[in-house]
Amino acid sequence: MLNSRIIPCLLIQNNGLVKTTKFTNPKYVGDPLNAVKIFNDKEADELIVLDIDATKEKREPNYNLIENLASECRMPLCYGGGINNLSQALKIFSLGVEKIAISTSALNNISIVSEIASRVGSQSVVVVLDVKKKIFSNKYEVFYKNGKKPSGIDAVEYAIKLEQEGAGELLINSIELDGTMKGYDLKLIKIIRAAVNIPITILGGASSFEEMSKVVNEFGVIGLAAGSLFVFKGRFRAVLISYPTPTEKRNLLENSLT
Amino acid sequence: MITIIDYGLGNIKAFANIYERLNIKVKIAKTKNDILGAEKLILPGVGAFDFAMSQLNSSGMRDAIEKAVVSNKVPLLGVCVGMQMLANSSEEGKLDGLGWIEGTVNKFDKKLFNSDLYRLPHMGWNNVNQSNKSNLFCNVPDLGRFYFLHSYYFNCNDNNNIISTSTYGNTFASAVNSNNIFGVQFHPEKSHFLGVQVLNNFAKL
Amino acid sequence: MNQKYQICTKTIMDTTDPGIRFDDSGISDHYHDFQKFVKPNWKTNEVGENKLNSLIRKIKKDGIGKEFDSILGLSGGVDSSYLLHKAITEWGLRPLVFHVDGGWNSELAVHNINVLVNKLGVDLYTEVINWEEMKDFQLAFFKSGTPHLDIPQDHAFIATLYHFANKHGIKYILNGGNISTECVQHPLEWIYYGTDMVFINDILRKYGSVRMRSYPFSSIFFHKIYLPYFKGIKVVKPLNFIPYFKNEAISILEKEYVWKPYTLKHGESIFTKFFESYWLPERFGFDTRKIYLSSLILTGQMTREEALDIVSKPAYDKHKIDEEFNYIATKLGITILELKKYFHMPKKNFKDYKNLYSIFKAGANLVNLFGIENFKRRKK
Repeated sequence: MLNSRIIPCLLIQNNGLVKTTKFTNPKYVGDPLNAVKIFNDKEADELIVLDIDATKEKREPNYNLIENLASECRMPLCYGGGINNLSQALKIFSLGVEKIAISTSALNNISIVSEIASRVGSQSVVVVLDVKKKIFSNKYEVFYKNGKKPSGIDAVEYAIKLEQEGAGELLINSIELDGTMKGYDLKLIKIIRAAVNIPITILGGASSFEEMSKVVNEFGVIGLAAGSLFVFKGRFRAVLISYPTPTEKRNLLENSLT
Repeated sequence: MITIIDYGLGNIKAFANIYERLNIKVKIAKTKNDILGAEKLILPGVGAFDFAMSQLNSSGMRDAIEKAVVSNKVPLLGVCVGMQMLANSSEEGKLDGLGWIEGTVNKFDKKLFNSDLYRLPHMGWNNVNQSNKSNLFCNVPDLGRFYFLHSYYFNCNDNNNIISTSTYGNTFASAVNSNNIFGVQFHPEKSHFLGVQVLNNFAKL
Repeated sequence: MNQKYQICTKTIMDTTDPGIRFDDSGISDHYHDFQKFVKPNWKTNEVGENKLNSLIRKIKKDGIGKEFDSILGLSGGVDSSYLLHKAITEWGLRPLVFHVDGGWNSELAVHNINVLVNKLGVDLYTEVINWEEMKDFQLAFFKSGTPHLDIPQDHAFIATLYHFANKHGIKYILNGGNISTECVQHPLEWIYYGTDMVFINDILRKYGSVRMRSYPFSSIFFHKIYLPYFKGIKVVKPLNFIPYFKNEAISILEKEYVWKPYTLKHGESIFTKFFESYWLPERFGFDTRKIYLSSLILTGQMTREEALDIVSKPAYDKHKIDEEFNYIATKLGITILELKKYFHMPKKNFKDYKNLYSIFKAGANLVNLFGIENFKRRKK
């Protein structure tokens, strides 16, 4: 039986790991390489690593760092941050990365999705949607510039277009819930899931492993990404990496309906 | 010595890293000369069937690989699209496959099951049911989990070629074998300890 | 080494310890020091129990009205884990539990801290040392040619511990140090003081390249004089008042918490493991297992034969060493070639640099007079 994937999402700034709250106030959390090694030793299902400043700073991805991180991962690694063209994507794949994630570049020019997907296959192309709920509405709007600028684009309509362009997976990132551990946005999951037939991964607000189990029960197989949940501990938000053991994972996920 | 065929697709580094940590010598093959004298071959692959076949055909290595595998019986392990390429053809594309294990590659049929429950690609960790005992799965517990990422599957003409099955709506062949030729649909290079075990087993065949 | 090779006939300390001295029977001063200075003061029977109870009472009394009555540094290793277990489940203390992340945590360490904190319901604080600074600090020590590569990690731990205690007004530092497994003193040539700021500053001046903006520094004056004498902060080692046997402690932890033991002491830090199992013995001939195992011999937990058998084999895993070497180099941002270069460069020690050794020695002698253990604190 296919299980939902439980995916730590790590944010990189200045070559260090940080954790944000609502996309601001980055708190330094440590060395990315050691974190990746620990998640690997904990047999994480997959790992997402996002360089949150590469696009803002208009610079190339840190290929050396990516290569080092990939060499410590015996599970699929998805890298995002600063990818604007096919040749960057190909270079990153050659360093041992399974999937690339694009965000701003797809908003600027959606055809980059099909350009990369047609070369490497949809399964390796993840598009990230940073979204905020519109006030007085059930709709969600896609934001860019690290969640600061509204694009005017509706999340659902955009998701449908991305599927048509050949995206293999959508990473739906809830800006308002980022770093809060208040619980995933179930309404958001529902509307995006209903709109597309490709796998989706939800990020932002994960509060506990038990909550993840409930989400799987409600929605079936889905990607469950989280940052704070795997990196902070307790009421003082002590930095300590955690991840369900294989047994805990089995118990959490194999109670689902499928 | 494990020779990993680099024809432009697949996570070559991941395979190389694993073998290096197992203290098993690795060689990356980019030209036909690199194939000469190979003891074991790995054919990785991601992405679309036609693209993979055309890359392999234009790599300059195809004939050497064919000679090594078909004539000289050098063991070969095809991974993901690398496994699918072993078939005669694929629904996904127009080009011929290698035809080394009789069968066709078909897409998961969405009409057969509720697409709200099953999305494509088949993406994530799934059980591998060892249907036919094989040394490829030595020390790998039955129903062990491996990482899958694909939308097409291998339909064997001869069921005796199937060494493991997995279920995603349909039950399909997750590993195949015919003499010296092996194929796995999952990614052993990205499946933690069990994946390393499979790669180690292949090296020790 | 000026002496020809000789090994103690009671322990397994030998002339790789440059300061070792033997009597006419071939017994080392380590053995005699234990018998003369440590053993008579080491009481784990009713005397120890009374001392412990009295200590616990005092800690609780001084902690009334405060959020925490003590502080405990948790590394995920046996000593600190067992100490936390006792402190919470038996002694009823309320320690502030903290962990210093120096960038080298093993998965085992992180797992162990997690299971303890979860089951005991304690609140955890962590201090994450800026990795760019730690990396540069460690590289500076590699470049110095001295064996003292553990100082950046150890100093961060000590400094953070004391700063935290001071900040939260905590009077008692619960330390997992114990005679049972650590009664033999580290030769300073192997493991030098982690708080000699004159030495540290000399190394940083010569070989450091990154400004240490956030790295926590402390000084011997701060935590050996100001904090104890002006702020009344005390370090206590409760494991010395009870019968403490490593194997038993491990069993209890495994049973109660699904705690995972290490094959080698200090396995909670990937760097320390590399440092003690490979770098020190292979480059300098300093095998720290001799210290630990000699302590076990002196406290009756191991026979000399068993200890000799263990050190007859290398401390590092031959099958994994290339991979470890690779990881260490990658993480430090250098090539394997560069790391090998440091491995083969001429050997130096703290005496080749500016240091406060004479002051430490004078202070140590003074403290020794009162029969208190004074050797360099090790992260537990």
